Amino acid sequence: MLKNLNRRILMKAAAASGLAAVLGGRSALAADEPLGITLVVPSPVGDVGWGRALADGLEPVKAAYGDKVKVTIIENIAEGPDADRIMNKTVADGNKFLIAGSFGYQNGALQAAHRNPGVTVLHASGFQVAPNFSPFAAKYFQGTYLMGMAAAALSKTGKLGSVSAFAIPELITSINAFTLGAQAVKPDIEVSVVWVNSWFDPAKEQEAAKALLAQKCDVIFSNAQDTPSVIAVCEEAGIYTFNLNSSMKKYAPKTYLGCVATDWSPFFKASVDAHLAGTFKGANAFLGVGDKVVEVVDWSPDVPADMMARIKEVETKIANGGFSPFTGRIAKADGSDGVPAGATLTDAEIVAMDWHVKGVTTPLPK
Amino acid sequence: MNAVEFVLAGMLAAATPFLLASLGELVAERTGVLNLGVEGLMAFGAVLAFIIVYHGGGHFLGFLAAGAGSAALSLVFAIVTLGFRANQVATGLAIGILGQGLSALFGKTYESLTVRGLPKLALPWLSDIPVVGGLFTQDVVVWLSLAATLAIWAMFAYTKAGLVIRAVGENPKAAHAIGYPVIAVRLAGVTFGGAMAGFAGAYAAVVYTPLWADGMIAGRGWIAIALVVFGTWLTGRIFLGACLFGAVSLLALAAQATGLDVPSQLLSSLPYLVTIIVLGIISSDRRMMQLNGIASLGDPFEH
Repeated sequence: MLKNLNRRILMKAAAASGLAAVLGGRSALAADEPLGITLVVPSPVGDVGWGRALADGLEPVKAAYGDKVKVTIIENIAEGPDADRIMNKTVADGNKFLIAGSFGYQNGALQAAHRNPGVTVLHASGFQVAPNFSPFAAKYFQGTYLMGMAAAALSKTGKLGSVSAFAIPELITSINAFTLGAQAVKPDIEVSVVWVNSWFDPAKEQEAAKALLAQKCDVIFSNAQDTPSVIAVCEEAGIYTFNLNSSMKKYAPKTYLGCVATDWSPFFKASVDAHLAGTFKGANAFLGVGDKVVEVVDWSPDVPADMMARIKEVETKIANGGFSPFTGRIAKADGSDGVPAGATLTDAEIVAMDWHVKGVTTPLPK
Repeated sequence: MNAVEFVLAGMLAAATPFLLASLGELVAERTGVLNLGVEGLMAFGAVLAFIIVYHGGGHFLGFLAAGAGSAALSLVFAIVTLGFRANQVATGLAIGILGQGLSALFGKTYESLTVRGLPKLALPWLSDIPVVGGLFTQDVVVWLSLAATLAIWAMFAYTKAGLVIRAVGENPKAAHAIGYPVIAVRLAGVTFGGAMAGFAGAYAAVVYTPLWADGMIAGRGWIAIALVVFGTWLTGRIFLGACLFGAVSLLALAAQATGLDVPSQLLSSLPYLVTIIVLGIISSDRRMMQLNGIASLGDPFEH
């Protein structure tokens, strides 16, 4: 049972339920009431993108529990007071499981968790942890490293590019790993980055992609764009391209390099199981290839077979913990030591990364 | 293609959504009506054009629907502000929010779908010139909006219609006294403004960024309104402002791509800064400002 709501419909629903409360009084929650799961996302849930990946992650939960869960998706909710109000409302309505799908929901979601100890909250890409509050994030960098290898094998100009939303650690690590993967194949390859400083501005994203093409970049990484803006420009220009979260192959049938996809269902399923069993414990969930949350899908057939074999080998090593893209020595863009020889960055160091590796030609905004 | 060529080639197309919306708002404001709903009118036009083009109706029909749809929405604004003399600022904001809401509603099932844009037409000879050649390779809408700029400039400079519009905006009571239909002129101005905002939205959704995503206008309607004010209600300056804004936005992106050591946040704010500074300097003459300012802007007309 899936209800797709937007803000306006929600307001109407809120008004209607308020009316119902006045007329009939609210019935107490029965014991066999289904578990109300609410997902709140900042952008519209389209065919592709971040919101879609989260929504799809709930499908197996619905399949497993059927009538025992009731999933509601509230989309297009701006970060800020609006989101806080909507999260409080959904908890007040009796939903016991809340997924807050954006970094900026952190404070509101945490407050909702504090006030309602019986409610379980999962929060995307944050850092706060509480007994009933788990932040979750994907190790995209494990996938972008593999993409870097493929990109280097296909690049003729030796210049790769990335259209990136904001210079935050999650995106920086993706670019760094992409660069390191490419350098593992061609040591002197360069990566240009354009920061659009916006999560959502398709026109600007396309302009940025064209600016990179003008600099002869011949593989473009669409880093955290929710629409196929960059992908469509690259397909038209005949340039290889890839993105995160959900596959956009249908927008670039010829030049799609692949997708660093996220499948949240194992995590969502495990969290719902734990909630129902009463054993949920808030913890930082930083999940990657080994957890089957990050996986590269829709590989382009143009990647040479020997390179594909090499990529698969690295992928296996990443999955069983035998390899990390951030193992030293890694030089920073200014030449100093980013990771000393022999050392490997811990998860905590990775989520705080604020420097570019050598080979990224665009300076990092401070 | 280096950064300069990239900027020159893309500048006019980047400016076109601003230019179209600003020209429409210019005409509306010249009649004395301040319509702050441009953002919503653009979004509404954008979704209508996208739906038609997506279903194979073609770009011409898409633009037509966008113009008609946004003009119809601005008629609602006109009825409330001209007919019932409601506050123009509040009504404009309301219509803008309504337009955005309608665009989200109509566009729900089209979220992140794509269509094909328009081919670029190269002017013979001119487009072969090195470096600046890209400036002369543009899609048909860009050429048409340049023509529209020229036509609106000429209308205000040389025609009686332009004089009547200005008279209505400057002193509606006097215009009414000598027999001009103030309300009808304002109605025409508002409707024209709505249609142009619709075209601007259509350009954004089916030519410049041929995809639909809720919120894709991303504040461009507000910049269009600001350009009208900073351009001191003069067609030439508005054109200059729109081009400058387009060029600097592209330059900021190109600078990052080439690895220039300037913080990207500064580069992102550069279009706003440069446009404000340049237009601020040219319009710093206070006498000119008073001469060009529209005396009755925002005031309802009662007789």
